[in-house]
Amino acid sequence: MDAVSLREKIAGDWFFRGGAWWRLEPIAGIRTIASQMLQGEARFATIVATSAADRSLRVSWHWDVFGTLLSVESLLPPGGLMPTIADIYPGADWAERETRDYFAVEFEGRDHTPPLMLRDTDRPGILLESKGAVR
Amino acid sequence: MSYRIPVGPYHIALEEPYKIEVECEGERVKSAYLKVGFNFRGIEWLAQRKNITKVIALVERVCGICSNVHSMTFCMALEKIGAVEVPERAKYIRVVVAELERLHSHLLWAGVAAELIGFQTVFMHVFRLRERVMDLLEQISGNRVNYSMNRIGGVNRDITGPAKVLEGVAELRRVLTESVIPVFTTDATVQARCRGVGVLTRSDAIALGAVGPLARASGLDMDLRRDNPYLAYDKLKFTVPVQQAGDVLARVVVRALEMLESCTILEQAIEGMPPGPLHAGDVYSVPAGEAIVRTEAPRGEVFYYVESDGSDTVARLKIRTPTFLNIPTVAVMVQDNEFADVPLIQASVDPCYSCTDR
Repeated sequence: MDAVSLREKIAGDWFFRGGAWWRLEPIAGIRTIASQMLQGEARFATIVATSAADRSLRVSWHWDVFGTLLSVESLLPPGGLMPTIADIYPGADWAERETRDYFAVEFEGRDHTPPLMLRDTDRPGILLESKGAVR
Repeated sequence: MSYRIPVGPYHIALEEPYKIEVECEGERVKSAYLKVGFNFRGIEWLAQRKNITKVIALVERVCGICSNVHSMTFCMALEKIGAVEVPERAKYIRVVVAELERLHSHLLWAGVAAELIGFQTVFMHVFRLRERVMDLLEQISGNRVNYSMNRIGGVNRDITGPAKVLEGVAELRRVLTESVIPVFTTDATVQARCRGVGVLTRSDAIALGAVGPLARASGLDMDLRRDNPYLAYDKLKFTVPVQQAGDVLARVVVRALEMLESCTILEQAIEGMPPGPLHAGDVYSVPAGEAIVRTEAPRGEVFYYVESDGSDTVARLKIRTPTFLNIPTVAVMVQDNEFADVPLIQASVDPCYSCTDR
C-alpha cells in the first residue's frame, strides 16, 4: 500500500511538517494505528521521545512507506503508562526499551522491559537530568 | 537435548562487543537472545550539553566506518531548521564523500565475509581495494576515518584533484567488475556457503523494520537516495539492486552490485560538480524548531531528530542508526540454522555495534 492510501485508510487529520506526514493522536489510539500500519506494510522506523512542559513527555512513533515518513504524536502525562506496540511490531522492542532507559517511562502490555543500553542496576531516565556542563 | 551457548560479548572474529545467547538442539539453533549496550557512550546525553559545532565532531564518532553520514545528517537537520541554503557544489562534494564511504564500508564487509566464508585470497584482494578507497578519502579530506568534511551550510574542504579521484574510481570499477563481483555472485564456494542460509522473509523484514542492503535482499525495493532524494541524488542516475531470496547470498549480491552503482554515482557527481562556494558562511546556532532528516547510510536508513530551542546547543538529538533495527533480525534469521552458520549470518547483516550503542 502506498503512503497516500495508508493515510486515507487511517482516517484522521494528517498534516505535512518538516518532511513528514503527522497526525496527533491520544496515546490510547496508538496500538490501533500500529495494527493498521502493519496491514499496510509500513516499516517501523523508530520512537522519539522529548521532554515537554509540566514534566509530560512528547512521544512520536514513525513509520516509513517507501520513502515517505508517517509520524504519529501523543502526549504522555507524568507517571502515565505507554502502550507497547512490540507485540505488533517486534522491531519496536528495542526502541521501547531505549525509551525507558532515557525517560524512565513504563509500558503497558509488556511483561518486562529490561534495559537496553543501561546495566540492570542503573537507574533509568538519564535524559531527564537537567542540562548542564559535562561532568 | 537442548543446551544454551553464550557467545560474546568479546568475539574472535568481531572487533566490537555484543552478546548472543543461542539455544540449540543438537547442531540446530532453536532460539537466540541478543544483548547490546557494551559500547554505550551516551552520545545523545552529551549532545545536549555541547554547542552544535562540537556536536558535529561528536556525532562523527558515532561510527568508525560511516562517520561522515552522521555529521552530514546532523548538519542537514540543522540546515533544515535554520533554512540554511547549501551551495550546489557542497551538495555534490557531500555525495562524493558519502559514496566513497559506502564503497569503503561495503568493501570492509566483503572482506570480513570472505574471511568467514573461508576465502582468504578474496579477503586480501578486497582489503587491498579498500585501502585504495581510503587513500581517496584521505586525498580529499586529509583523514582516513573521521573526515571532518561537514559544517552547517556546506563542507569544509573542496575536492582539489577530481581527475585523481576519477582515476581511482575507474580502477575500483575495473577490479570490482573483473574479479570481486564475479567471485561473490558466481563462485561455487560462495554459493554453497551462503545460499539458503539465514533467510529473512519480506514480512519479517517489515515487522522488524530492516533497512538498507539487508531489507533490499529480502525483496524490499527501497532506498532513500531514490525514494526521498536529498543533496544532488535527484540529478544522478543509478539503479537500486534488489534480491528476493532473503538469504546470505542475496545480501552478498546486493552489496556487490551496490558497489558498482556507487562508482556510477561517483563518476557523474565528479564530472557534473558545478563551480561555486563551499558553504553558506559561519552558522553557530539555528532558530527554535525541529527537524527529522533521514539519509541512506551504507547499512541503511539513518534517522536524525533534532530539536532546537534557539540556543547554540540542541534541546534534543535522537539518533537511530541502521544497525539498531537490523541486529534484532539476527535472532529470527539464525532459527533452524546450523550453529556453525551463526557467525556468517550475523556478519551478513554488516553489523555495527558502536553505531547501535552510541
